[in-house]
Amino acid sequence: MPSDGPMLEVSEMAFSYSDEGTLKNIDFEIMPGEFVALMGPNGSGKTTMMRCINKIHKPSSGKIEIDSEDIMELSMGEIARICTTVPADTAVDFSLSVRDYVALGRSPFIKTIWWEDEKDEELVNDAMWRMGIAHYANRRLHELSSGERARVLLAKGLVQTPKVILVDEPSAHLDIKFKVQIMEILRNLSRQGLTVLIASHDINLLTRFCDRILLLSKGHILKYGSPEEVVTEESIQEVFDIRVKVVVEEGTVYVLPTGSTRFGVDGPLN
Amino acid sequence: MTDDETRLREEVMGKNVGIRAIRRRSTLIIIAGIIVILVMYVYSLTMGSYPVSFQESFHQMIEIITTGGNPEEMSGKVIFHLRMPRSLLVIMVGAGLAVAGAVMQALIHNPLVDPYVTGVSSGASFAVILISLTGVVATSLASVWIVPVAAVIGAVLAFILTMTVAESAGGKAMSYVLGGTIIGMGLSAGTTLILSTNAEDMHRITDWMFGSFANTSWEEAILCTVCISIILIIIMIYARKLNMMLLGEDQARYLGLDARRFKRNMLILVAVLTAFCVAFCGVIGFVGLIVPHLCRMVIGGDNRVLLPTSIVVGSVVLLVADVFCKSFTVGELPIGAIISVIGVPFFIYLMVKEGKRYAL
Repeated sequence: MPSDGPMLEVSEMAFSYSDEGTLKNIDFEIMPGEFVALMGPNGSGKTTMMRCINKIHKPSSGKIEIDSEDIMELSMGEIARICTTVPADTAVDFSLSVRDYVALGRSPFIKTIWWEDEKDEELVNDAMWRMGIAHYANRRLHELSSGERARVLLAKGLVQTPKVILVDEPSAHLDIKFKVQIMEILRNLSRQGLTVLIASHDINLLTRFCDRILLLSKGHILKYGSPEEVVTEESIQEVFDIRVKVVVEEGTVYVLPTGSTRFGVDGPLN
Repeated sequence: MTDDETRLREEVMGKNVGIRAIRRRSTLIIIAGIIVILVMYVYSLTMGSYPVSFQESFHQMIEIITTGGNPEEMSGKVIFHLRMPRSLLVIMVGAGLAVAGAVMQALIHNPLVDPYVTGVSSGASFAVILISLTGVVATSLASVWIVPVAAVIGAVLAFILTMTVAESAGGKAMSYVLGGTIIGMGLSAGTTLILSTNAEDMHRITDWMFGSFANTSWEEAILCTVCISIILIIIMIYARKLNMMLLGEDQARYLGLDARRFKRNMLILVAVLTAFCVAFCGVIGFVGLIVPHLCRMVIGGDNRVLLPTSIVVGSVVLLVADVFCKSFTVGELPIGAIISVIGVPFFIYLMVKEGKRYAL
């Protein structure tokens, strides 16, 4: 049942590992079918934020709602049925075939002790087909390239028939073509109604494909809005501590690093 | 749709792949396994110092079952009192160790892990040595039971120690490996010290430590069978959740499984299972480490197929080794050593043949 409200709503959320505040004053919402990026330097809290949304971490205060349901009221299994997390990569041992791996995405839905049913099977086949990995179905996971494996991970996410899909660094070790491919797949999925939240360091891909960007700095939200609003020379410089040039060409924002770090020409190693 | 696409669709989604195929494979393995184990069981009854033919032993087994355990002929008595309980125990221990190994490797995510990694075998040995120091083993009438009871208690205590250390170090899989290794080393050192200072009285105990199925009684075999079967059934029920653990704890949690609790419960189950496996026949290596790898190489990593296969292969491998031990006329050989002698060349062959396809 499509609701008019936001698909994901985070209000006044804070989380800390110890005394140190890791995330504070987190307030944002994502509408159904939106493709939103989490942008920020290492340690700014991107992964922690995702782990709060899928309830691996419990926020110390505030509220997270997925499709108007408070996640603290939901069990891990119930969350797994509405929200899927796609990891950057997966362990490739234990001789699992691509089909075995994708089928594991149905786990939260299986009622019997052991076996998936015909409907699960159909979803698995369909997801493999859509991700273009059907012809690898019976290969073992470690025989695939990184780009193919990234699509296997996405297929496993899809068979979870989620409303929200969280993607953590999907393209970290992919070449430029596969990076674009993953972003295109995610954008298509969001156009079909799926709400996508992606964490990545590929600023230029995020600005090109995402609807909105959430810029995180030291555990709080610095800016949240369209790529043009968020990605400016000042904001990037403030958050990432490096001078950049921002170019807008045919409506797309591009960021070029022009400054240098303390290891530059006058740095300590020279 | 083009011809190519139709062919691909058939290849990928046809009748011979997917869940139906896996179910069929699993059922086939269970049925074939039961038949193979039964045949091997009857065959193992023919071996020993008193010669019995295969037909004879089959016939005697039927008679034992129909008369409720009162065979008249000599061969029937030998089979009923000496060989049937022994081979039953061998089957259960083989199955138990193989499954314990498969589960352990899945939980710990490490190929070099066997069921003994959490210190259970060292704990069992240490407890048996300790109890034999008191002298009750040689004198008491109840001595048949003292060794296994001490072994189970020692194994479980050692695991509790390991679990305490591992959980307070964060409860990661690697904490269990490290904790178990250290606890095991400490206990083994204790065993060595006691052994070296009391070398004379320890013959019975060293027999136990090398692993032996000689002199198995019906009571021992039945007790073991019941306990091991119950634990095996519980583990099999969780085969699908065990598959989720193959992805690592994080991804298992993304799928809604409380991975940490599940892992801890499974480890406890495996520790108790292993304790019963070593209680009556001592510490037998190889089966728990190699059989799961062997099965995984051939049939893949899905635990719904892997666990039944491990049960079949584990019990058959141990039965073959035990038959081999029995067939030597000059005293019995230690089964642990025999099984490695048979298993190592076969495993090397498989490793060379399947190694490239197999990643673990």
